Formats: sequence, C-alpha cells, structure tokens
Amino acid sequence: MIKFNINEASPVPLYQQVKQAILLDIVSEKLNEGDQLPSIRALAKILKLNPNTVAKVYYTLEEEGFIEGKRGSGYRVKVLKSRIDKLKISIIEAELKDFLEKASCLGLKKKDINELIGRLLNDK
Amino acid sequence: MINNEIIKVKNLNINFNKHIAIDNLSISFNKGETVLITGRNGSGKTTFLKCLGGVLFPDSGLIQFGNKVSKKKIGIISDKMSLLEDYTLEQGIAFHSEIFGINKFNFSLINQLNLKYERKIKTLSAGERAIYHLSLIISQKPELLLIDEIIHMIDAYIRELFLEALIELINDVNTTIIMVNHTFSETGRIPERILIMEQGRFILDEKRENLNKKIKKIITNKEIEEDIPVLFKKESSIQKEFYIYPFKEEFNSKYKYDFQDISLTEIIKSFIGGCYAKERV
Repeated sequence: MIKFNINEASPVPLYQQVKQAILLDIVSEKLNEGDQLPSIRALAKILKLNPNTVAKVYYTLEEEGFIEGKRGSGYRVKVLKSRIDKLKISIIEAELKDFLEKASCLGLKKKDINELIGRLLNDK
Repeated sequence: MINNEIIKVKNLNINFNKHIAIDNLSISFNKGETVLITGRNGSGKTTFLKCLGGVLFPDSGLIQFGNKVSKKKIGIISDKMSLLEDYTLEQGIAFHSEIFGINKFNFSLINQLNLKYERKIKTLSAGERAIYHLSLIISQKPELLLIDEIIHMIDAYIRELFLEALIELINDVNTTIIMVNHTFSETGRIPERILIMEQGRFILDEKRENLNKKIKKIITNKEIEEDIPVLFKKESSIQKEFYIYPFKEEFNSKYKYDFQDISLTEIIKSFIGGCYAKERV
C-alpha cells in the first residue's frame, strides 16, 4: 500500500501531493511494473478526497507514462527505466537547490560546500 | 444555457426589510462540481442556498436549472429543516420514497449507525438526524445536493460516514454538491471550487488548485509599496503580515519580498479578516 502523507495545511495542491506520493513509490521501487493501483473510488474514500481529484492524478500520471489504465481492470504501474532515472535526479536536484540556497544564506563558500559534501560522502 | 451547466443564476436580489441579503448576484455551476461557500456570519450564504433549493423566493432575478434536472433530483440538508418529527424512521422513509418515487432505498448509512427504525425522528441526535436525512436524499440519487452548515456540527465518526457517502455520490451519480460551511478543515478535501461571500456577493470564486498562485503572504517589519494589492494586513509588535491578492507573477522580479505560499485555511481567514477590517474603516 502506498504511503500517503496528505497535509491540508500545506499550500501544495492536494492532487500534487497525491501524485508525488505515488511517484515517490514508483521511483523508490516500492511500486513495480504491473502493480495495481487502488481504484479511484477506493482511494477517494480512504483519503476523503474528491474522486475527481484522484481521477486527475491518475490521468496526469497516465499521460506522463508512469501508469496505464485499462477499462474494467483499473490502473497499473508502468515502469520506464530511463524516465525513472531522470526523475531520481530531478528529485535530488530540487533538494540540493534548497540546500545550496540555505548554505549561501549562511555565508558558506563553494570551497566549504565541496569539503562538506566530500566529507559526508567519505563518512558513508 | 451551456451544456455542462446545471444551475445558472442571473441578477439575483433578496432584501429583508431594508437589509440587502443578496446583491445582484450572477453565477453558474457545472455538473459534477463540488463547491464550498464560506464567508462571515450574515454574508448571505444560507439565504443563497435556500434560494437555490427553492425554499426562499427571490425579490428579483433568475435561477435556471439544466434541462434535465427535475425537482425530485434536488436535495437540501440543513439542521434547521424540519422533517416529519412524529413519524418513525420507517414511516419517514416510506413517505419520502413515495413522494420522490424511490424504488430502492439506500439503508446502508442508517444500518452503519445501528439506528432503530421504530424510533421517532424527533428523538434523533443532530448527527443521527444528518445521516438519516442524507439517507433519504442519497436514495433520490440527486443531481444537485445543497448542504447547509451540517458538517462541522457532527461528531468525527459520523462526519466520516457523511463524507464517504458524498464521495460515493460524486462517483456514482456525478452529483453537483454545494455546501456552506464555516470551518472547512472537515470538508477540506472534497470541494474543488471555493467561493467566499460578503454582503450578498461573491468576493472570491476560484478553483482550489489555483488559489495558492493567486494569494501570497509577505512578512516584514516595514510598510510595503502602495501598488501591491493588500487584501488584509495583520500587525503585531514584532512583525507585519500582508496578504496579497490578486498576486501577479511579475511581483517576484519587481519587488524583493519573499512572497510566501499559504494554506487554504489561511487564505479564507485573510479574506474574512479583510471584510471585518474594511468595515472598521
């Protein structure tokens, strides 16, 4: 079962939160090729979401090629290796941008950041 | 009327003595839309809903329903609405089924609450009553459902049943739902379109997913430029909060402020706060 962390108090629109939760599970391979997604009605009831919102998430994911809908049998995960690798990079890139912004706010220089990342990588 | 429209309201006016309750209001709603109407007390929300439901007759204006919407397919739920109080639940169901031509009554909600069918309607609690009333209306398979300030007054368990029933309705019948509520955190995930009412008009009509692009917040300790449209300002000894509406993308490059995204709760609070502030001036 996908872990949904839907937060009403967040300014991020609900459909984006739901979409991201599903994408994250696909990227981290908790959801694999052919896995069945819950039906629109079931997911709407669990999350107390408007079924139209859930439908919109599924349609966009289908358009982007991450899932596939078949009449009568619901939606299944479709994994495209190259897309997923790209997605992994873009998720981390967004996080890194945040991190770099904070670092520059704190007055860290390029050299400091390089050192810091190097040290953390070595520790691992 | 455009095909997808289920209700079209044109130049609606309602006065109570000299008080203007609805002020030349025009708006339309589409099939399958879920709408939340909010606003401060006395802004005209309930009056508007009553008008849509045919409970109140307007002084002037037009309310037009989509061509296939019969009166039997419009449901209205309100805590103030009287049911046939001395009837038992069973008698009420029989009566309602006959009037509205219901062949197959949907007992699932009543059974989930374990309500006894021989109880009289007047002995039900507010929440039980809401569920009973909803059962009557769900069985009609309504095209349009109007809900007046019910959801915030029922307990958490019954509310969940109530919301799940609404989700089923949207899914199965594509019912248009228009609800009036003060606290929307409980209804928060269902409405797709948000309307805020003030003095008998709508001061905000926006798709929920677009709201965070249209309204932003600045926190600062100085005054801000006059050409930034301020909806509401909140001042304390340590900071000033400015709620900006309508926000434009170009503000980001024009001004140096950190325009923050805010939640729906805060958006509605700032609109209503803005109404009170205007009155004080």
